[in-house]
Amino acid sequence: MEDNSLASTIKEGDGELSDISLRPMDLSDVDDFMVWASDDKVTHFCSYGPYTSREQGIKHIENKVIPHPWFMAICVNNRAIGAISVSANQGNDKCRGEIGYVLGSKYWGKGIATRAVKMASDAIFAEWPHLERLEALVDVENVGSQKVLLKAGFMQEGVLRKYFIHKGKTRDTIMFSLLSTDPRI
Amino acid sequence: MESDSSESYMKNGFVELSHISLRPLELSDIDDFMVWVSDPKVARFCPWESYTNKEDGINYIKTKVPQHPWFRAICVNNRPVGATSVRPNSGNDMCRAELGYVLASKYWGKGIATQAVKIVTKTIFDEWPHLERLEAVVDVENVASQRVLEKAGFKREGVLGKYFIMKGSTKDMVVFSLLSTDPKT
Repeated sequence: MEDNSLASTIKEGDGELSDISLRPMDLSDVDDFMVWASDDKVTHFCSYGPYTSREQGIKHIENKVIPHPWFMAICVNNRAIGAISVSANQGNDKCRGEIGYVLGSKYWGKGIATRAVKMASDAIFAEWPHLERLEALVDVENVGSQKVLLKAGFMQEGVLRKYFIHKGKTRDTIMFSLLSTDPRI
Repeated sequence: MESDSSESYMKNGFVELSHISLRPLELSDIDDFMVWVSDPKVARFCPWESYTNKEDGINYIKTKVPQHPWFRAICVNNRPVGATSVRPNSGNDMCRAELGYVLASKYWGKGIATQAVKIVTKTIFDEWPHLERLEAVVDVENVASQRVLEKAGFKREGVLGKYFIMKGSTKDMVVFSLLSTDPKT
């Protein structure tokens, strides 16, 4: 199947990672989107999913992706295998943006998310000169995602207890940040 | 002078805790209100500049205070010496609300703000049963306010670098929280 050949081209540390690119996502990516959006391993810590119908995927891309201030597909050979986004704030909160990312489970453990976060961080600080702080909130149990941010140079600032409601339950979340003045690793 | 009636409760700089109370702020409180809002020492860590005319004070009490979901005057012997407010959130953020408070500088260092915060924590979780987390963000340089929260039983969770813009520059803020399940001091 197509996806297997895609996954096998990505080996950690052998230069294949330079094929990873970020580009805006659109409705033509819906079938690739559904690969991770229908996987409950992937959506476990996401605010959405798992989706069971293509219509849900289309609605999500229409309502959440296309209007988003900064939303990219994480691509290998221009095929979307995940997504990464940065939200913007207004007024006195304009100095900070929140980064979020998701990756198909077949591509976990290869450094792809870390690479995508580094690429997105570099891009966003260049595109939004008023941005001084990039932050991420990660569930205390999502150890894989915490490692991604640490490897990408983010700093863990603290645990925010019972910070928000996720799929019906209040969760403790860890706050990470990368400042525009921090070394980009 | 009228202000003597609250000052008489400050024998040797001591205020009876039982004389500290919270109540709605009225237009008739305008002169007491102007005492702290016109004080640059008080405004230093607030998002607003100290007021220079009474019209602005009247306008604030008439139009801004009613917009607050939860706003109380902090009183000594029923005379306002400061104010406190709690801002709720909606949707998946409904479990948390943000606490703020301000006190006239003449009343600093006497445990009044601490007592006022304790009164808030004793009532707000009952008034809002869906609330699980009361949080506060304090400028890293505002050590006195950090002490208020610690004495009131809040937990210091971490420092958020360049978290938001206040009076034209980005500030590092300490985040504190008190959970509905934490012991009330």
